[in-house]
Amino acid sequence: MSETKILGFTIRTDLAYDLDHHLWIDAGSVPVRVGMDPLGVETAGTLSQLLLRPPGVEASQGDAVGSLEAEKFVGPVVTPLSGLVTTVNEKVMADPGLVGRDPYGEGWLYELRPTRPDELARLLSGEPAVVAAFEERIRRYRLEGVLAE
Amino acid sequence: MRGLMTGPMRVIDFGEVSPLRSQTLWHAIGYGVSDGSPPTLSFMRPSHPYVSIGLHRRLDELDLQWCKSAGLPIYRRMVGGGPVYLDGGQYFFQITVPDSMTRGTRSQTIRTLLGPAVDAFRSVGVHAHLDEHSEISLGEAKICGHAAGLIGSAVVVVGNLITSFDHEAAARIIATPSGREADDYLRLMKRYVMATPADPGHFRRAAVERYAAALGLKPEPGVMTEQELAQLDDLDAQFQDPKWLAGPPGPPAAEWEVKVRAGVVVVAAR
Repeated sequence: MSETKILGFTIRTDLAYDLDHHLWIDAGSVPVRVGMDPLGVETAGTLSQLLLRPPGVEASQGDAVGSLEAEKFVGPVVTPLSGLVTTVNEKVMADPGLVGRDPYGEGWLYELRPTRPDELARLLSGEPAVVAAFEERIRRYRLEGVLAE
Repeated sequence: MRGLMTGPMRVIDFGEVSPLRSQTLWHAIGYGVSDGSPPTLSFMRPSHPYVSIGLHRRLDELDLQWCKSAGLPIYRRMVGGGPVYLDGGQYFFQITVPDSMTRGTRSQTIRTLLGPAVDAFRSVGVHAHLDEHSEISLGEAKICGHAAGLIGSAVVVVGNLITSFDHEAAARIIATPSGREADDYLRLMKRYVMATPADPGHFRRAAVERYAAALGLKPEPGVMTEQELAQLDDLDAQFQDPKWLAGPPGPPAAEWEVKVRAGVVVVAAR
């Protein structure tokens, strides 16, 4: 495991990311494991509810495979890859706060067997690219007032 | 918001509608705005009392037997928050904008989209403020029930002007472990949830003006599109489907808990 501190956020650099949806993807595992990245955790607010569709769901990239709620706002949990959801993390549904407390560990969301290898190849990955992308995103969010200093 | 928008803000006042339509109409607009309809400010008042429950909440949080005996239909909405009692003493408003027009965290978006409603309250003589929990409040009491969510790719924030409030019915819909918790809940609700009997027409006009100014849009009276009306039929069916109403599976929480308003809860061990 490799991680680095980027402008106050601890980011694992050995994982792939869908930064638009703030999801990390452990592409080295089979099936791949998906979770919310620390920047997503920060901007989502305190999660009060998390619901994931049961295993067996086939989804296309960008489809909702669940929903989450923070401060009465409901939004989708999407999949960064097309594929079959094989496992969902029951622990985070029982305790959504786990996502915030341990986003890369116990707070993972679901596992998926990808059906489109080309999508996997297009994810953000590799330490230099991950660091640069997070730096840019964090700086932008701060300029926009999305993140407090 | 992502700067000021341009173009029209559709304004639809549906008047008095059935309990079912007081939910499905604005959901249909959510899908419509998601598919290209302009940002929309809508209003309505339910013709009869009913109960609405948030997307993620367990149906057994409600005293289903009492709701049935009182003739209250129950509808599960697609936005957040808990189970609530709604009736004709509550004038609903909904602001619906494309998600691409919003910026910041969801919490910031809610505050941004509730801000003009606070101004509208103040315009009709209610010295409301948006508190640290993003509740529209007067003093320590909440005066507006709100919820929000993404419907398709549209952000919808809903709220209400409460001209009168039936605290007893609002407390009675909730399943409680014993009479003690029920009494506590009713007592706290009477303290922390308050009606502000302002004129809904004045409130509506102020809200139109304030939302248009805040979003930089020109208010224009409008109607639903054919596509939205077709979606409305589907939503009517979905909201009356027992499977949709049943909601998420899973065990109840270890503790019984009911929120009176943000920051005020009644808790009991199961």
